[in-house]
Amino acid sequence: MTLILQAVLLLGLIGITIAIIFGKDLMISVVIYCAFSFLTMLLYNIMGAPDVAFTEAVIGVISTVFFIIILRSIDRKTK
Amino acid sequence: MRKTITVILLIIAVFVPFATSDILPVIGDPQSAPNTHVSDYYIEHAIEECNSPNMVTAVIVDYRAFDTMFETTVMFLAGLSVVIILANRPKKRIPAFSSLKRLKTADGRPVYRTINKDVMISVIEPLILIYALYVLFHGEVSLGGGFQAGALIGMTYLLDIMVVKRQRPIFRLSKAGSAALAGIGPLIYALTGIVTILGGGLYLEYNKFPLSVHQAELHSIGITAVEIGVTIGVAGTIITILNALMERTYFDDDND
Repeated sequence: MTLILQAVLLLGLIGITIAIIFGKDLMISVVIYCAFSFLTMLLYNIMGAPDVAFTEAVIGVISTVFFIIILRSIDRKTK
Repeated sequence: MRKTITVILLIIAVFVPFATSDILPVIGDPQSAPNTHVSDYYIEHAIEECNSPNMVTAVIVDYRAFDTMFETTVMFLAGLSVVIILANRPKKRIPAFSSLKRLKTADGRPVYRTINKDVMISVIEPLILIYALYVLFHGEVSLGGGFQAGALIGMTYLLDIMVVKRQRPIFRLSKAGSAALAGIGPLIYALTGIVTILGGGLYLEYNKFPLSVHQAELHSIGITAVEIGVTIGVAGTIITILNALMERTYFDDDND
């Protein structure tokens, strides 16, 4: 059961990464990156590292906000 | 072009773990090297030696305290380099965070703040700060520790600077002040080690603290002192980066 959950989460991570790379709008990429961080947190939790999961949850939010602040001073659309 | 390189790197990153998976020990294999030497020792001795039910904290700030000290220093240096890269760039005028206040009602009146964000955030912020303190001082008993507490404090500042704006700030730090905080954290950590030397022990040997309490208490005190240093360092680093980022830009709704 844990193995299946891990596999699903890892596949989700790969899918999310592809979505981030090929996104046309950087803002959407940043928000999807937040979801990436959330899935990683779940994965850490399943693997029995709640300490790391806690850090990931907090840092995921902070880095997302950093990206959004940076996005406001550059062009939002990718070329 | 850049996208092609990214995809190639990603494919390499996917296949390298598979290619090396037969060299590495199987996850959870009881016969592998890390599970036969270090882990057993930690599991058997962590609670009695460090007086800390959370083994992660015991390993991070007790057995490997020296390691964590320089980790905190590296974080401080990373924050400083971000400031150096971002400093002295021309400011750029960009639109306000919330375009909500530019909305108009049907009869032409402007709509101001449908939800009062200031009130909402000023309720949440103290709770996050208290939770950060809980995480800090319960780090050796339950989840969390210095890094998480520092990140939570940084998050409070972030909420404060982005939503409450300049009318009712809970706390504000200048760029120099936050950079100083980021440096004070590792300093507290290093001074803890010097105190243990003065007590007649090795560097960061917590049971040689020159205090007249029970021997088992000394480890808790040492871990807490170090965690306070880590918290201040992490919070300072996050606030430094945030200040450097915010300084580059100013917002349309700053002077309303």
